[in-house]
Amino acid sequence: MLFNSYIFIFAFLPPVLAVFYVLGARSREAALSWLIAASLLFYAWWRPLNILLIAPSILINYGIACYLKRIGHSNPAHARVVLIGGVVFNLCFLGYFKYIAFGEQALNDIFDAGLPLTQVILPLGISFITFQKIAFLVDVHAGRIERFTFREYALFVLFFPQIIAGPIVHYREMMPQFKVASCRFDAEDVSVGISLFFFGLAKKSILADPIGRVIGPLYDHAASGVPQSLADAWIAALGFTLQIYFDFSGYCDMALGIARLFGIKLPVNFNSPLKARSVIDFWARWHITLTRFLTAYIYMPMTLYLMRRRAANGQPARRTRDAKVATFLGLLAVPTILTMLVSGLWHGAGYTFILWGLLHGLLLCVNHAWRLIRPRIWPDTASYNRLAAPAAFMLTFLSVVFAMVLFRSPTVAGAAMLWKGMIGVYGAAMPRAILSHLGPIGGLLVQLGVQPAWTSGTMFVGAAARIGVLLFIALALPNTLELLALYQPALGVKPAGAPGRLLRFVAWKPTGTWAVSLACVALAGILSLGELHEFLYWRF
Amino acid sequence: MRGPRAFLRIWAGSLAGLGFLAVAFNLAVDPYEVFGTPRMAGISLFKPITKNHAMLAKTNQVARFHPATVVIGSSPIHIGIDASTPVWPEAMGPVFNYGIPGVYETSTSLRILQEAVATGGVKSAVVFLDFQNFFSPEDPDPALLEADRRFRSLPDGNPNPDSRMQRANDMFLSVATAGALIDSVTTVALQRRPNVLDLASDGSGTEADFIDAARNDGMHDLFAQKDAAEAVRAAKLAPVMAGWRGPLPDLDAVAAIVAFARARDIGLTLVIAPHHVDALELYWRAGLWPRVEQLKTELTALVAAQHGAVTLWDFLDYSSFNIEPVPAAGDRRTPTSWFWEPTHFKKQLGDVMIQRMFGRSAPAFGMILTADTVAVRNAEIRAARRSLVCERKQPVLTALESPPTDRCVRIETPNRPT
Repeated sequence: MLFNSYIFIFAFLPPVLAVFYVLGARSREAALSWLIAASLLFYAWWRPLNILLIAPSILINYGIACYLKRIGHSNPAHARVVLIGGVVFNLCFLGYFKYIAFGEQALNDIFDAGLPLTQVILPLGISFITFQKIAFLVDVHAGRIERFTFREYALFVLFFPQIIAGPIVHYREMMPQFKVASCRFDAEDVSVGISLFFFGLAKKSILADPIGRVIGPLYDHAASGVPQSLADAWIAALGFTLQIYFDFSGYCDMALGIARLFGIKLPVNFNSPLKARSVIDFWARWHITLTRFLTAYIYMPMTLYLMRRRAANGQPARRTRDAKVATFLGLLAVPTILTMLVSGLWHGAGYTFILWGLLHGLLLCVNHAWRLIRPRIWPDTASYNRLAAPAAFMLTFLSVVFAMVLFRSPTVAGAAMLWKGMIGVYGAAMPRAILSHLGPIGGLLVQLGVQPAWTSGTMFVGAAARIGVLLFIALALPNTLELLALYQPALGVKPAGAPGRLLRFVAWKPTGTWAVSLACVALAGILSLGELHEFLYWRF
Repeated sequence: MRGPRAFLRIWAGSLAGLGFLAVAFNLAVDPYEVFGTPRMAGISLFKPITKNHAMLAKTNQVARFHPATVVIGSSPIHIGIDASTPVWPEAMGPVFNYGIPGVYETSTSLRILQEAVATGGVKSAVVFLDFQNFFSPEDPDPALLEADRRFRSLPDGNPNPDSRMQRANDMFLSVATAGALIDSVTTVALQRRPNVLDLASDGSGTEADFIDAARNDGMHDLFAQKDAAEAVRAAKLAPVMAGWRGPLPDLDAVAAIVAFARARDIGLTLVIAPHHVDALELYWRAGLWPRVEQLKTELTALVAAQHGAVTLWDFLDYSSFNIEPVPAAGDRRTPTSWFWEPTHFKKQLGDVMIQRMFGRSAPAFGMILTADTVAVRNAEIRAARRSLVCERKQPVLTALESPPTDRCVRIETPNRPT
């Protein structure tokens, strides 16, 4: 079931909420049990077989967690073996369903093995669920979770607002909330919840989907070997960056909003990443809970292991500003690139995703290296922050846009073709109609090498205008979390100490003006559901 | 501050009220002609948005119109044939234009004819055929497309079980979507514009887009743009046809149309649609003209087997209508008389064809193809092309200023049906 569907908005969510509140008024336990049942229905709606695929994995993880809890303190070595077994089980589970066909394809490509490709039904949200289960086992092993019941564990894994596309939550940030949730109608929670939900719906259906329809053919053409001109290649790159930005931002808002209707606050997952001034900053704003997971469970353990090994070998084991290149490579570049390789693979089983992850790993290494080098060549941090900020923003933005081409392209060759187009290898072309209406400027453009093309001027102008509007919204306006900061829309979000004039003026409050404005936003979002469009992140 | 409970009350009330207004507005404007809401001057007299929803609009229109004659074809017919022109014989009226712009295959004509006949009262059908469609095998889609789901019957003639649901969905999407609301607002906004695009209740489209384009860019650009597209199309079709053996693709669709019409005693006229010489020359140069001749021959044989119950008209030739000169590049004033561009003829030419086919007097344009005339017709067209293209010293074509390289009229015998 999609959040942006009539069936979810009109047939699923209202009765689930109504029953939840009615039961909650009598018994909190009954309300939470109802929430688990509703989550199962939500998960099974698309394909009931999903439940049969995911249920054994949930049961096995619960069993491993119980065992870990029992032996944790008495036999640490055995517990460690059990933990590793549990993690391997989860990775194999994910690997089989998500990567078996890609692995066979890769073997065929490299060794011409001629393996038949295994057709596997991919359980929904398997990547998210698997990471959450791994985090749970690690937390139980580390003693961060001491008490849990099967119902609590089931609620943690299955809670439907976040089951399919995150955020990736920790047990310790969810269960305390469920334990104190009133499970009754709370006008403030519902007001904040519906506001978040319909902001998200509008982002998805009004901002993200239309630009997706514009850029789709450009990627298809590039993948089929048709060269793209400078303008078309940039429309494709910028358009997709903005499509996935508003798509994922919209999804995150909707997930936050739905959870809030049940009195639960999810962690922040998306915080205006295109405003980032470095790639490190970008990853602290984009899919924040994934970055958190990768950092805690892959990057840090790997770095610690490498530091211990270097220390054991008598090599420098700390990353300081005076570190040698070998130390930088060994302790920072290697774990960073490997972690981002995992990130790429997690996003999709394909060469383009692997390269996308590696490219971001490389960008992060360059960013880290610059952080180490910069104080030597530009010691005044204050002036650096003031003067270099615009350049840092542009460089980050262009890097992200450039990399996003890989994320969307069906093939690496298609991405390469678009990259060539972006740097002008295939020349520049504009619709003949636009050039002829530009008068002398059109003539100048032709003299500069811009070729007149028999393409639609209306579509060209429409795409450029849409990209301009979306960029303005993404870069210049406050985000949803900032708008609702007074009402803590997500875990850890607090009002800015000194909000700007615009934010003070537009900050969300339960007023009549906001109620009518939100009704307009909600209506626009609902009316835009005429065609169903899947969230991009649901495929991961 | 009123508090969250008041916020929720105002929000719910506003949402319901605004939703009701949006639905009522869409229903009143009816931008896609789904409901047949009476048109209101200044609000919904013209329906420019139907341009992108012709199948949806016309399928609903035809059910309300109950035509005696239906004209079927692709975008040239949608634009170039006026269903309400007085040149139609009175006995054939009312006439409905069921021409559908966009991707079009000959089998679609059968589906449209079935749909029109299902409304009751259709006595005659005029089906225009695009010769290019016969050079590319159709790619049958096992799943019913949206338009197919809307039709009352399945391709085999049985009732379509999906029709009611699709039509209910059409109605819902026509009143309760943002796209419909935007289109309703656009419809109202464009009413005062001169030369606004429209779809008449008899299915006839207007030429407003071409009039605007001719005014802004000139006729030469219109021809040149279409020439470029047709050149690409011809280049794609040529290799498909190079190794083709047997009857041409799509001929079975025509046979099905004939069989359907005869089974229901519907007078059927098949028409090979006219094209400007630019388009004809492109297909000559792509080596496809033998296939055009093969098409005419095979269609003639098919029609001859009906013993006079079906008529086949051919307007694909080098008559004075088809070879009209195109104004020079940059000339935005000089109009053409008969063609907007190589594949789309003007309503004036549409009227000439209607008069020629169904009237008592008309200029000599096109002819009825029969087993006795088709060979002569093909030979005459070759001679006309030699006279026009090969022996002219000055280029006469818009975008085809290079001389022909095919020794002009050397014709290879096409592969005959085995």
